[in-house]
Amino acid sequence: MMCQHCNHAPCETVCPVLATTHSNEGLNQMTYNRCIGTRYCANNCPYKVRRFNWFNYMGYDKFKNFNPSQDSLSRMVLNPDVTVRARGVMEKCSMCVQRIQTGKLDAKKAGTPVADGAVVSACSEACPTHAITFGDLNDNKSNVRGISQNNRAYHALEEVGVQPNIYYMAKVRNTEDQEA
Amino acid sequence: MQREAAIREPLILGNKSYKDITDDVVGPIEGAAPRTWKILVTLTGLVAFYGVGCILYLLGTGIGVWGLNKTVGWAWDITNFVWWVGIGHAGTLISAVLLLFRQKWRMAINRSAEAMTIFAVIMAAIFPGIHMGRIWVGYWVFPLPNQFGSLWVNFNSPLLWDVFAISTYFSVSLVFWYIGLVPDFATIRDRMVKPLPKKIYGILSFGWSGRAKNWTRFEEVSLVLAGIATPLVFSVHSIVSMDFATSVIPGWHTTIFPPYFVSGAVFSGFAMVQTLLLIMRKTMKLESYIHIKHIEYMNIVIIVTGSIVGVAYLTELFISWYSGVEYESYAFINRFSGPYSWAYWIMMTCNVITPQLYWFKKLRRSLTVTFILSIVVNIGMWFERYVIIVTSLHRDYNPSSWGEFHATTIDIGIFIGTLGIFFTLFLLFARFFPVLALNELKSILKSSGENYKKIDNHHH
Amino acid sequence: MSKKVFHAMFNDEEKLMHAAEKLVHDGLRVKDVFSPFPIHGLDPIIGVKRTRLAIASFMYASGGTALALLGMWYFMIHDWPMNIGGKPSFSMIQNLPAFVPVTFEFSVLCGAHGMAITYFLRNGTLPGMPASNPDPRTTDNMFVMEITTDQNHDFSADAIEGMLKEMDLVELSIKDYE
Repeated sequence: MMCQHCNHAPCETVCPVLATTHSNEGLNQMTYNRCIGTRYCANNCPYKVRRFNWFNYMGYDKFKNFNPSQDSLSRMVLNPDVTVRARGVMEKCSMCVQRIQTGKLDAKKAGTPVADGAVVSACSEACPTHAITFGDLNDNKSNVRGISQNNRAYHALEEVGVQPNIYYMAKVRNTEDQEA
Repeated sequence: MQREAAIREPLILGNKSYKDITDDVVGPIEGAAPRTWKILVTLTGLVAFYGVGCILYLLGTGIGVWGLNKTVGWAWDITNFVWWVGIGHAGTLISAVLLLFRQKWRMAINRSAEAMTIFAVIMAAIFPGIHMGRIWVGYWVFPLPNQFGSLWVNFNSPLLWDVFAISTYFSVSLVFWYIGLVPDFATIRDRMVKPLPKKIYGILSFGWSGRAKNWTRFEEVSLVLAGIATPLVFSVHSIVSMDFATSVIPGWHTTIFPPYFVSGAVFSGFAMVQTLLLIMRKTMKLESYIHIKHIEYMNIVIIVTGSIVGVAYLTELFISWYSGVEYESYAFINRFSGPYSWAYWIMMTCNVITPQLYWFKKLRRSLTVTFILSIVVNIGMWFERYVIIVTSLHRDYNPSSWGEFHATTIDIGIFIGTLGIFFTLFLLFARFFPVLALNELKSILKSSGENYKKIDNHHH
Repeated sequence: MSKKVFHAMFNDEEKLMHAAEKLVHDGLRVKDVFSPFPIHGLDPIIGVKRTRLAIASFMYASGGTALALLGMWYFMIHDWPMNIGGKPSFSMIQNLPAFVPVTFEFSVLCGAHGMAITYFLRNGTLPGMPASNPDPRTTDNMFVMEITTDQNHDFSADAIEGMLKEMDLVELSIKDYE
């Protein structure tokens, strides 16, 4: 499961130092360099999607054999656009905020609004069957807006009342076959 | 002069004079340290040393040395925090609430109970500190101007309320305790013969002279501090409980938490007072001042608060079913039948069932029974916090993210270590500080001393 | 005429109180009393006024309440309002319930510490200050009444000494002072 980017995010209210807040684009932001690591946000997440940096994975010998960042050659697999999180801070899905930012800057330079589909999250891009769609929910004509208004669209754990920004699509079943 | 009904048991036994009270309390401070004290302080010091070692290893390596995982983000750390804060509550209850209710029996126990409060709150404060992933930036919880904007702190967060509650509680308790200690330090200063201790107690006593106006102010300050420490002590554990109560996690999201945590705190705190005082009165020969009646009073508090806690447990169970919320019901079914059901049943036995033995007068006046049950209660109260924190977290909404917590040696080492530090501090207190409130005890000698009561009865 | 200070020592607070009552009735002014614990009922006899420390504490606490509310308004609403879990961080009134705990704690903090500091300052008791009790036994089991010729011009030193010697006391010390 990924971060649901809740509009009424329970993780945000409990952080004592404002390390996680809401952006005006509806993202649940995580400010790594403000985090003091109380883990209260992770406990209060109904989806349990926050991950903690328990150790200094960059330097601790225990992870030498399987952490690519500890090897000067293999650390090139790491995304240069993303900060490596320090020991003792919380992290989670940022909805590829670095890609959103690039998309917005490109559009600004071109002097046009951000076109639907111009920014794609890494998971959406990687999925071969297009099971993940990314876009602007506030854009009435966007693809995601259409999907979110589909009868099959639902929120995970909607009853908790955290108002997620992620929609799931109900599985289509052949009910006649099952009834028969 | 105030007189007391003859039917009340005397609070100070034996044929004591003002001088005797001073001698009984200051005598042990003036003499050489007893052998048992030296042995005990060495043992607790070693345990404390081990605990400090575990803490340093944790700080050097990372929170991963604890048994936590993505599902269970808090376990022994916050369990210990809540347990220690809870223990602290008894001292304030004795010195503040019982002062407001004019309960004179508190005078024999308030000094040491409040010392216990201060040491317990110090132990508690260790845990929110070391449980942070980056303790070196822990000062960010204070609203200090900074280079980030200034970026302030989140006053909506219960954890920030905790910062204010715990620091206020600790500093106010310390001041309350110290104001009471000043006249007693003056007593030691005026008796001491050795120059260095005399000098030290002289500094500690702030030049107290016991003038009439000083005493008027002293009594006013004590009364007002008691008046504000009373809502303070109730607010502290209410706020601690809000860490859980304001969350969205089934088993945590419960409005019953504040009163239930406060009574649980008083319950465990009185048990810790019993454990410490039963040893202290015996080794320091204070049986005339802390006697069966005091112990019985404290056991009555234990059975009252223990029964409130018991009712709260049953209410929680009933409401989880009556609410009709599946997650809530499951959280409680999982508590008493899931992988941590052993912890739940230890909690139920130690907190709800065994304290009911105190309904028998013989048992609540027995020193052996009191000592054993005081430890049993604190085991039970530790497990209560463990049950609330770990069993609620380990299985919440999504079965895909369920997990389990298993304590590591570092988890255990740090907890045992804080016990070591706590007992070391208490032993140092018992050695160098006046363990009874001299000035208060002397003021009740005539109304509640055994010899004076006898004379009184004779007159009637 | 040299000024004299009398220190009458009693071994019981009730004896001291009776003596004070009688001496004050006869027109003498008692300057001070040194005792190991508070003697209830003594203050009105020797004319010690009620302390206003409680009022001071209330004022400190009120200051704390105001400061806490002002601070939280500035930090959360005015200086840098943020969207925190959909909470109403843009309105003080709507966000007020979340500010109650800190307001309360901060009021208590200011009330208690303000009063404690005032208490120590007004008493003249601070770390390292010299003690001024006339006899070390007054912090143990003795009660001393201090009377000066300075405050009792109507009486001669001999007259005061005579009056004190009639009381049920343990010791009487007379000293000259400037």
